[in-house]
Amino acid sequence: MLSRSAQGLYWMGRYLERAQHLCRLLQLQVEALVDRPVREIHLGWSRIYATLNRQPPFGGIQFDRRDNYTLADSYTLAGDLTFERSNPDSVWSCFAQGRENARQMRHRISAEMWICLNLAYLKIQRLNIEDIWKTSPENFYAETVEDIHTFAGVAATTMYRDEGWHFMQLGHHIERAQHSVALFLSQIATARLYPESPEADCATLLRLYHAFDAYDRKHSVEIQPHQVLDLLATDPLLPNSLCRSLDSAAAELAAIADGPSAASSAAASRLAGRAQALVRHEWPDRKDREAMLRQIDEHCRNFHDRIMTAYIDYSVEDAPVH
Amino acid sequence: MDFAGYDLDDGIYDEMLQPNGEPREHSRLLYETLCQLSSDEIGSIQERVTRSFSNEGISFTVYGDAEANERIIPVDCLPRILPAVEWRHLEIGLTQRLTALNRFLNDVYGKARIIEDGVIPVDVVRGCPQYRSEMCGVTVPHGTWVAICGTDLVRTNQGFVVLEDNLRVPSGVSYMIANRKVVKTSLRRLYRSSRVRGVEHYGRLLQETLRELSPSGRNDPCIALLTPGVYNSAFYEHMFLAREIGAELVEGRDLLVKDGFVYMRTTTGLRRVDVVYRRVDDDFLDPLVFREDSLLGVPGLIHAYKLGNVAVVNAPGTGIADDKSVYAYVPDMIRYYLGEEPILGNVQTHLCRRPEELEYTLDNLENLVVKRVGESGGYGMLVGPHSTPEEREAYARQMRADPADFISQPVLPLSRAACLIEGRPEPRHVDLRPFVLHGTRTRLVGGAFCRVALRRGSLVVNSSQGGGGKDLWVLED
Repeated sequence: MLSRSAQGLYWMGRYLERAQHLCRLLQLQVEALVDRPVREIHLGWSRIYATLNRQPPFGGIQFDRRDNYTLADSYTLAGDLTFERSNPDSVWSCFAQGRENARQMRHRISAEMWICLNLAYLKIQRLNIEDIWKTSPENFYAETVEDIHTFAGVAATTMYRDEGWHFMQLGHHIERAQHSVALFLSQIATARLYPESPEADCATLLRLYHAFDAYDRKHSVEIQPHQVLDLLATDPLLPNSLCRSLDSAAAELAAIADGPSAASSAAASRLAGRAQALVRHEWPDRKDREAMLRQIDEHCRNFHDRIMTAYIDYSVEDAPVH
Repeated sequence: MDFAGYDLDDGIYDEMLQPNGEPREHSRLLYETLCQLSSDEIGSIQERVTRSFSNEGISFTVYGDAEANERIIPVDCLPRILPAVEWRHLEIGLTQRLTALNRFLNDVYGKARIIEDGVIPVDVVRGCPQYRSEMCGVTVPHGTWVAICGTDLVRTNQGFVVLEDNLRVPSGVSYMIANRKVVKTSLRRLYRSSRVRGVEHYGRLLQETLRELSPSGRNDPCIALLTPGVYNSAFYEHMFLAREIGAELVEGRDLLVKDGFVYMRTTTGLRRVDVVYRRVDDDFLDPLVFREDSLLGVPGLIHAYKLGNVAVVNAPGTGIADDKSVYAYVPDMIRYYLGEEPILGNVQTHLCRRPEELEYTLDNLENLVVKRVGESGGYGMLVGPHSTPEEREAYARQMRADPADFISQPVLPLSRAACLIEGRPEPRHVDLRPFVLHGTRTRLVGGAFCRVALRRGSLVVNSSQGGGGKDLWVLED
């Protein structure tokens, strides 16, 4: 397939996963506004911004404010993260980018996929933070996640399983793996800074990964932070675990034929394998989870770069001719 | 739906109704069906049609309008109907015209007998900016310079005439198919009873045509549709057609020329391209031959084309045959090359390069339509009766400065078709653009993109000027 088409579908997968991930984070965060203590709300916002590697607007988040200030801040922060056009990481920007990639690749996806995505985009485009804040903002985030899930379902049932599909899935899984790593790192950092109440944060994480039931089955009802992290990182049965994202990314890459340079494709494949091995085999024995996560993050970034080199930005001088 | 108060004018042909208010025979079923629909019913049909275009993102970019990067093309839900006999006449006329135009292009880039024999002045051809001397002596596959032609036709009380030939990168066919898809399902019973010719197989015919033009010996040719990119006004159409014909949608940066062959970058290496269906203007096709600042084209493409290693469709240089000055000579071309009388006439055209015709145009500006010869899409046009004295004065200054850049034509009373305007049927001016394909033979679907000037009284139907579309139903015999 045309390299640029592969690239477009890969980024479509990434952006939509990014939008979905942020929606889930924001959904839980605005739910927390209803009844959680101010400190926890502040920590939630800090964690979201840390995950995105982004500074909050207007000089950051103040930790010593009273309730009404917290709510006002939250409105501003939610606006920045949801509809702000100039914020490339906002839900709107990610969704619009995903949809723009789809628009440019309409001939490569099914008509049903395009309509599904376009309808969701038209809906979001009409809204702003005031609209969703008036009633229940969590509904907006839940609906957007639902729209992206619907899109994934439509894709699964209508899209031809050619390379385009695999590149789209590859983008989706790499993005998810990187988000997981970023989230775990910010969780570790938060726990270190504020060790007094880790349970609530861990509960949020479990909810984010739809992992409460799985945790209950494996462990007791009492939440232990290290067990939560282990579960979310290494459980191969948990649909969104880091381990599963890396496995899926490796499987998608394996389904794609070698690029023009077999060595380059093999290098990408090796990187995926290394990241998988770290989580599957080394995780249980390593104490320094933070260093390990940084290593996995590095592998994911290199993995992305290698994919681009192997399939998209390769030198045409030595490329084989078909 | 009530036609009482529907404006009929003896001087303007109405596509549905006769001057006495009775429906034309071929439109009777449509008229009776519409009369039985309540305002709410027809309103909800229009809403469904509009919503469908919006949901599917059937768009047209309007340049210079930042808000209209993805403007949804307006579509009217009431079909326009042509009886079989009228369509047959158009079909024969269009085939005749395209045959002559291809012969002209072969000649004009070859021995130029038509100039030598004094049928068309040399300066009209060689002074035209669309004349590409780089194409002289080039032999194109099967003599087909123009494989895809979109001819604009209008109807007056005297019959159909050709308004212009679009022989470079004609657009609009995707809207023809989109209109059909949504209108036929919105008026399903009427459609079934009317026995309408299909248009949805256009993609297959286009693919067959392009395959016929691929370099010889290539059994399963690789076709690429070359688009200027997502910001082009017709990007939706490029994407649509790529899908229809199973082609890769490529930009210039996806292609390269190596050892005289054209390749595209794929995930597994370089794949040879046999046919480039280009939707990029000549100027930007190949920076080594045409505009050197072009980032949209492919360096070396023309070289590969001249070697016969790739087909470029339509061929570079076809713009000379749809130039607005050359247009005036098409009836003479038909007589010259085919020895036949033109089946479809031209609009009377004054070439301002001729001093007496310039004077006539300047003296009658308020009654004429004046166009720049190199423009298309309704840009750079003056519609005399709708212009202000200041606009006419400014235009006249430009004409005096460069007369050869202008032509003028009488304001034609374009036919009108019933459109749904604020819940009521009102007549609006229309044209039609059928798409004629020619590889080794001519192919034509029974239908056309019907453009509508949606503003009351307006004669400008161009999509880039706010025009809309409607479905055109060509009836079976």
